[in-house]
Amino acid sequence: MGIFLCDCGGSLKNIDFSKISGDLEKLEGVAFVDVSHSLCLEEGERTISSRILSEDIDRLVIAACSPELHERKFVTLVEKLGLNPNLLSWANIREQCSWSLEDDVTEKAKELIRMAIGKARLLRPVERRGVPVSRQVLIVGGGFSGMKLAIELSKLGLGTTIVERESILGGKLNEAEGFYGLEIGPRRMLSLMMTAIEEDKNVEVLTSAEVRGVRGEVGGFEVTMKRAGEEHSRGFGAIVFATGYRTEISPQNSEIRPGVNVISHLDLVEMLRAPERLERRPSIIGFILDVCDENSRLPTISALNNALAVRDKLGSEVYVFCRNLKVDSEGVEELYGEARERGVVFVKFDEAPQMHCDDGQVVIEARDVLLGEEVVLRCDFLVADERALPSEGTKALGSMLNVGSDSQGFYQDGNVHLYPVASARKGVFFVGGCRGNMDLARASNDIASAVMSIYALLGPGETVIEVEKVKVDRDKCRACLTCIRACPHGAIQLLRLSADKEAAQISDLACDGCGICAAVCPAKAISFEGYSDEQMLAELETIGK
Amino acid sequence: MSVGRDNRIIAFCCEKSAYLAADRAGRMRLCYPDNVRIIRVPCAGRVGTLHILRAFEEGAAGVLVMGCQEGACQHLTGNLRARDRVRYAAALLREVGMDGERVKMVNLAPDTAEKFVRAVKDMAEEIKER
Repeated sequence: MGIFLCDCGGSLKNIDFSKISGDLEKLEGVAFVDVSHSLCLEEGERTISSRILSEDIDRLVIAACSPELHERKFVTLVEKLGLNPNLLSWANIREQCSWSLEDDVTEKAKELIRMAIGKARLLRPVERRGVPVSRQVLIVGGGFSGMKLAIELSKLGLGTTIVERESILGGKLNEAEGFYGLEIGPRRMLSLMMTAIEEDKNVEVLTSAEVRGVRGEVGGFEVTMKRAGEEHSRGFGAIVFATGYRTEISPQNSEIRPGVNVISHLDLVEMLRAPERLERRPSIIGFILDVCDENSRLPTISALNNALAVRDKLGSEVYVFCRNLKVDSEGVEELYGEARERGVVFVKFDEAPQMHCDDGQVVIEARDVLLGEEVVLRCDFLVADERALPSEGTKALGSMLNVGSDSQGFYQDGNVHLYPVASARKGVFFVGGCRGNMDLARASNDIASAVMSIYALLGPGETVIEVEKVKVDRDKCRACLTCIRACPHGAIQLLRLSADKEAAQISDLACDGCGICAAVCPAKAISFEGYSDEQMLAELETIGK
Repeated sequence: MSVGRDNRIIAFCCEKSAYLAADRAGRMRLCYPDNVRIIRVPCAGRVGTLHILRAFEEGAAGVLVMGCQEGACQHLTGNLRARDRVRYAAALLREVGMDGERVKMVNLAPDTAEKFVRAVKDMAEEIKER
């Protein structure tokens, strides 16, 4: 093996490189020790190239700065020179040695390099190979997010199939009456998107269709869909959930229940669309928010939009009872200002208001925290408090793909800040309302983020895998399912080998290389090349010797 | 078995958090005890009870398993599994009459070099006292 040391332009003064190289050369199996001033520069690359090509070495150790800085560069270089990059072992003698102590650290540096040598002796090559991936993306749900995503992916040349459970596209866009504060209303937005989708050859729409089963992994998911009573299977490179949310009238702390005078936002929108059907124009309409759920971003936006729509279309007096108005989305502060300017009255309460029906009207009694007085309102209609919940079938679809959800049942795996739209399973994404209370601006951010991730994954048409880097020894495997349950990425499956023998099989495509399976396997049947038990123990055994 | 005959602290560091925190500590020239030896792992969840116990068998005086903050693991449960294994290893150490405090789980973010240094110094103190 060859060893390359770098003294970082002579700056690592507390390490005696000549002593180290002298000692290391005596070690068994070491062909040469090369001390360079700057391995990361062109000169260093030339040194590595010429020595690898001229001397007969089958693996190498680099002792330099942190692998985080230049590991990728050397992996590419080594691969170009015809040596398998997995045969490269690394000692971090700058950040974690020279720079972390002021005294002479020659002995520590030598020990770190010997740890790397110990590991390098046991490294085995891992083949890298490009495998083709399907450039077709399945989008589950044809609401705003699903449609917009299809249009954006199409611009990058990726084909999409939208599967929509309902008979029409549009989802919640069909249930909105006005987008005040935006230049374009929901119906216009929907018709523009529909036209774009109809004219787009890359987008295929399947309405009244459902996903019934998913097999396989990223690049080649095999999805069974049911449409018009018939099931058929198709292949997709990635799957995006844009299944949205549903609203439900919150259980209210009062004697009244939704009925003729207590209505949902959807009832109100229907009323606004056909005001001529009303017996008489309602003179007062009340809205109530935040009764039992403080997380009311979406209901707040609908209430503000619908309050303005009522002022426009019916001219009724509008009162909004709320706890703390949530104006944390783009443009909602302006929406609130506009509503106040147009005569909508906001009553802020601390304790949930009392409500009852009286003579065909709804009476709301609340204590206004700003006035400090009791307010009694008799209104013709009360638009009830709603909350956003995951769509029906969210859980079933999630368990079909083995992806997780948050405490409210919305899709979310892992770290919401680092990987907002990615699930733990490679090639499965979530966007929009199915991830929680999400307005259009937030959903658009999701879509942009998902488009980039999907394009990076499927755009080139193939993806590079490391063949059997993590591998199950089929003779040792007892098919106990421990690894299958532990794998956070759903990358392990049980494979039937013969009539009486099954074994776990790890997909190179879906594996993210965490090594959890190798740690949990009770039979020690899983090896992780580069971090195998033997290789890690070889590092351990060198310490202090 | 003579515990800690060479006074080393073995730190298994997740390459996505603790390893970067250690690099950062170096870049900030924060000095920490020189008896620490870092073993890079792809995720704290890769570290098994076997590795922890073998470290002691090879003469380590203390073992740190360092991973991401809880809830921030790229592999969802890797750091939680590591935490459970550390507890289990500590129980095994106590069972054979050793000090369970010599193995610890540390959760830190990649930019928290100070936390890395504090954890290492705390362990070094812990060892000295015994």
